[in-house]
Amino acid sequence: MSMNLTLRIWRQANPGTPGRLVEYAAQGISPDMSFLEMLDVVNEQLIRKGEEPVAFDSDCREGICGTCGCMVNGVAHGPDAAATVCQLHMRRFKNGDTITIEPWRAAAFPVVKDLVVDRSALDRIVRAGGYISMNVGAAPDANAMPVAKGLADEAFDAAACIQCGACVAACKNASAALFTAAKISHLNLLPQGQAERGRRAVAMVDQMDVEGFGACSNEGECEAVCPKEISISNIARMNREYLRARLVAR
Amino acid sequence: MPSRLSFFSSTVGSKILIGLTGLLLFGFLIGHLAGNLTLLVGAESFNSYAHKLEGLVPVLYLAEVGLVAIFVLHVVRTLLNVWRNTVARPTRYSDKRRAYHTSRKSWSSTTMPLTGLFILAFVVLHIRTFKFGAFYRDPTTGERDLFRLVAEVYQNPLYVGFYVAAMILIGMHLNHGISSAAQSLGLSNQRYGRGLVLGGRMLAVVIAGGFAVLPLYMYVAY
Repeated sequence: MSMNLTLRIWRQANPGTPGRLVEYAAQGISPDMSFLEMLDVVNEQLIRKGEEPVAFDSDCREGICGTCGCMVNGVAHGPDAAATVCQLHMRRFKNGDTITIEPWRAAAFPVVKDLVVDRSALDRIVRAGGYISMNVGAAPDANAMPVAKGLADEAFDAAACIQCGACVAACKNASAALFTAAKISHLNLLPQGQAERGRRAVAMVDQMDVEGFGACSNEGECEAVCPKEISISNIARMNREYLRARLVAR
Repeated sequence: MPSRLSFFSSTVGSKILIGLTGLLLFGFLIGHLAGNLTLLVGAESFNSYAHKLEGLVPVLYLAEVGLVAIFVLHVVRTLLNVWRNTVARPTRYSDKRRAYHTSRKSWSSTTMPLTGLFILAFVVLHIRTFKFGAFYRDPTTGERDLFRLVAEVYQNPLYVGFYVAAMILIGMHLNHGISSAAQSLGLSNQRYGRGLVLGGRMLAVVIAGGFAVLPLYMYVAY
């Protein structure tokens, strides 16, 4: 049983020209298709008609790389919890539905083309402090540095961030607080991250602000759309780390 | 740790300031409510409480100046953040919906700046009505009979209705504000984050409900 849908897709030729929503008919869509496969089918039809296909980012198509992402009916990555848009399936929609598809919107995420946005601002936040400095040499023994089970779990949960940018897209303030908090938590919880703990928190928050992201209003929309279900308790930790670093650390 | 930004202009530092001043204002509300509950005991009790408070002269002025400063910091820093947050998303979504799942987004959270501005206007009006309202003198003690003014004001059902509505808006502001402030100050973790939201909601109901009971009681009883 196939579905016929109406798509309203944001089309924008390049960063310089204004975009608009364009309506397309998606016909003969199988409910077993993933959302991106559905867009592939629509693009095949557009190419056959000699029109420009819809540009969108994707890579692994199994929810682990963080490349894909768009607003589906007003929700980042669409209606499913703990899933990227490539993990969304068409069986989630009904025959005859109208689906609005928009790019992530933030001053810090300029649209490159259609649904593709430039998320390099997130890379620059990581570059500011999302690393540990150590001398290279032989790989250290894996068990040389003990890590308590609870801390290892919390650090791992934060490290699950795939940098897709859905948190920024969902936030009414286009804040990157959850992303930055996850990256700070991931390293600041672990013994390897202690040497640069304070410097990391301040440098990464600084970069987040320089990029033009908004402030956190604690609504938790980010946590709700995060495909990796990263908790906003990480934002509370980021604020503690930042406060401590600005007040105490040198 | 050196930074390119001043603490209070950073997104994190500004929210710590807003949260801290917000919690201090919430603390004031608790004290204010506790004092006002003497209205339920009677005229003598309320007037003697008001008189004692007015008698703490140097300390009272300090507290008043401090309170105004906290209020101004809370409002100004928030307005600056509202501006920054608007600039952070120049193009709006044509379709944006609440992401259910674990989202804490609510009527309270989305209307924070609006309920906040309303509270600002309400506070000005409230101080004019009572602190700078009609000065009645109690013939027996010779001191200000504030109770008489309160009882008179709350004889007007329109004013009672306005006051109760204002308390609902303050309750909404607190509903998001209390737990949000705690989160901004870093006083939350995965274990009790949800409990904090529930606790904030309960406190908001208690405070707003406590204040709303007073005009209703005064209207019915006097």
